[in-house]
Amino acid sequence: MTPALRVTGLRVTYGPVVAVDGIDLEVREGEIYGLLGPNGAGKTSALSAIEGLLRPASGDIVIGEIDARAHPLQAKAQLGVQLQATSFHSSLTLVEIVRLYAGLYGVTLSSSQIRELLGEINLQNEVSKRFRELSGGQQQRFSLLIATIHDPALVLLDEPTAGLDPQGRRQLWDRIERFRKEGRSILLTTHSMEEAQAVCDRVAIMDHGQILTVGTPAALIAAHSDDPKVRQAAHGEVTLEDVFIALTGRELRD
Amino acid sequence: MTDGVILPQRRSVAAPTWSSSLKVLLRADSTAQLRTSQSLLLAFALPLILLVATGLGKNSAALGGPAFRISLALTVGLVSIGTVGYSLAIARDRDTGVFQRLRVTPAPTWTIMVSRWIVQLGAVLVMAIVVLAVAAVFVGITLPPQDYLFTVLVTLLGSAVFLSIGQAIVGLIASADTLNAAGRLLYVPLIGLSVFGNTDRLGTTVELVSRWSPGGCLETLLSAAMGATAWSGQSWDALFASLGYTVVFAVIGIRWFRWVSQ
Repeated sequence: MTPALRVTGLRVTYGPVVAVDGIDLEVREGEIYGLLGPNGAGKTSALSAIEGLLRPASGDIVIGEIDARAHPLQAKAQLGVQLQATSFHSSLTLVEIVRLYAGLYGVTLSSSQIRELLGEINLQNEVSKRFRELSGGQQQRFSLLIATIHDPALVLLDEPTAGLDPQGRRQLWDRIERFRKEGRSILLTTHSMEEAQAVCDRVAIMDHGQILTVGTPAALIAAHSDDPKVRQAAHGEVTLEDVFIALTGRELRD
Repeated sequence: MTDGVILPQRRSVAAPTWSSSLKVLLRADSTAQLRTSQSLLLAFALPLILLVATGLGKNSAALGGPAFRISLALTVGLVSIGTVGYSLAIARDRDTGVFQRLRVTPAPTWTIMVSRWIVQLGAVLVMAIVVLAVAAVFVGITLPPQDYLFTVLVTLLGSAVFLSIGQAIVGLIASADTLNAAGRLLYVPLIGLSVFGNTDRLGTTVELVSRWSPGGCLETLLSAAMGATAWSGQSWDALFASLGYTVVFAVIGIRWFRWVSQ
């Protein structure tokens, strides 16, 4: 089966600074893949290169069967993207924003279809509002709707639950789970080990631009549970967070 | 986990054509432009106020003839729309991440910017027609039919000059706040220089600088287009200088433009 995403030897640099240092990763069809790492590990740079926002210094990115570096627009058409900080035209209403982004993916929606879609994410009473007038949770739901408006095979989510309350976070996890059941593959970055354990099939722990380890959360815990550093980090039963701390260190990152 | 889940068959989706992307962007950008009351005020009210105000008072004739009044109003409109309004709108959308969101869609990147330019040119066209209509109906300044056409064409050329200046500003200044301050400061020289292009009251050096400034060149061209002066070698010089300004500022603005503010 063709993977939804295959990244080989991806390297992203900002002048002399190497943000992503030759990583390989593969997201299988219908899989939720988590990219974990402290601040500055290179997660967002890797994601930005896959999204086509950054030109990588080297490496290959294949989305489905499309070479993203050779056919960037064709590759973007297969992707649903939710950026870390999303904003839309400040003077457009939600209906107009949905129409715009649907149009950019070649999807034609009637006003009633748009209202129906907004109703599905509980925004049926906000259709005439501007994006900035929504609460954090509503903004997140709306951004996810825009990211999947064209029914993409692969969805990239950059810290999707950042700033959400527990209810909002749970709702989003349910939505992500539904995406998987619909056959979509998801690549997400997160700082939340709870989230990674709850929703991800496999996770990769990244630091200093490199992937340190990859596996299912349970497999990673099992593989590292005898490591003295992990035992030192653990308060009782070993968790994914203990493995993460042991692999990436305790020092604070900017 | 994936085990036990039957995955629906997914096919790759074709990227839409550039023309369909441009069409939806134009629709959204023009709606946004119409909703921005501040930009509408700057684009229309200010030129009209100037058009009327320069005809008031006993010494109004000393400011210049009817053609000068119209060209001053058009220049103010062009600076408001093309340089200040455009660059501020771009900087704000860049700061808030609107462009990054658009750039992850399959729309070719150039269509995002071209859509903005077309909307600005449309606003300039409407502004020019409104100024000329108000001048004719309410202020009593009329032109021969062909001069209206030349005036609108020169105004569109002027909008290319001032849009490219706006592009250069937004290319060189990263922050929307800094750009806001710089835009206000630029208002004075851009308009002031066009005013003093036809007078040597502040000395011949100021007059020379003024005449060759973007606003001064536009003033020369508008004056010829409206038949106030004959089309001459100076008009050709102003035309070539305007085209030169457009190319130079556009190259600067595009070369140094960043889609993100940091």
